[in-house]
Amino acid sequence: MNRTGWNDYKWRLIHAAPQPPALHMALDEVLTDEVAARRRPPTLRVWEWSSACVVIGRFQSLRNEVDSEAAQRHDIGIVRRISGGGAMFIEPGNTITYSLYAPETLVAGMNFQESYQFMDAWVINALQELGIDVWYQPLNDIASPAGKIAGAAQTRRGGAVLHHVTMAYDIDTTRMLEVLRIGREKLSDKATQSAAKRVDPLRSQTGLARAEIIDKMIATFRNRHGLAIGRIRPEELERAQALAESKFSSDSWTGIVP
Amino acid sequence: MHGEYKMPGGKLVVADLEVRNGKLTGVRVSGDFFLEPDSALTLIDVALEGLPAAADDKQHAAVIRAALGSNVRMYGVSPEAIAVAVQRALEPPA
Repeated sequence: MNRTGWNDYKWRLIHAAPQPPALHMALDEVLTDEVAARRRPPTLRVWEWSSACVVIGRFQSLRNEVDSEAAQRHDIGIVRRISGGGAMFIEPGNTITYSLYAPETLVAGMNFQESYQFMDAWVINALQELGIDVWYQPLNDIASPAGKIAGAAQTRRGGAVLHHVTMAYDIDTTRMLEVLRIGREKLSDKATQSAAKRVDPLRSQTGLARAEIIDKMIATFRNRHGLAIGRIRPEELERAQALAESKFSSDSWTGIVP
Repeated sequence: MHGEYKMPGGKLVVADLEVRNGKLTGVRVSGDFFLEPDSALTLIDVALEGLPAAADDKQHAAVIRAALGSNVRMYGVSPEAIAVAVQRALEPPA
């Protein structure tokens, strides 16, 4: 498999109005498959959330990771994504989440660590230009001297790679810790001992509005690799809505690892 | 029974299981690691099911490695790390 470069493609941007968590999960599956099938050019999608939720990784135990009763009490949904990695706590406006969908040739011949570093490079550049000291932190984090800023997850499907990242903008750690079960073992080899201190949000580090940071990220990507405005095609949205209902809202998927 | 192991330089691996007649049963491996393809998780659970609980972690790891073959890619997890999580589930700290 010959490797391709970022600038071998005409990248598209999708930045739609707020959408529900299950639809975001489904859009990741559908758009990855569309890129794999060459029906869609490589795409950067910036997410806007319409409601609060916990997103757990493909291989996480629902019961071990989430206090479902507390989530219900706080009206926080629970969804499972198609990629591995850890749980994220989402409240609209509190995170910046985006996905990259590209042919797998973009990361051909790279091991996992190299491909995470490669896919994160542009956003690290964008944050550095905002004056934040950030770096790629193996295996899948973006970190600053004050702590973790973001987590990435990748999966490969049918010749395409999905790389998505959630960055903390302004997180309510008290609420997060009410719904997420974060055990001591997980923190055992981390520099910080308190889960509440593990994430240091972009808001306190930049003093910028969330939309300003997103604008900067998009501008950086456009400058480095080119980026034209795109949109979700009606047939893509239709498929994603069907999957959001049949798969990503179902107990059989969310509880696939009980 | 429940065991957790944070693989050094890797991710958290969790094993939930029971022991019946000296054998592992109801094995569920989980964690915030990465596996490709994702169906490999079921291969791991199935491979561990019915193994002697008295076997050591090296033996458990060998069975997992054989079940996965060479096409499964792992990131932040390994057969050895899974076997440690299983061992911790079997021997909870006093």
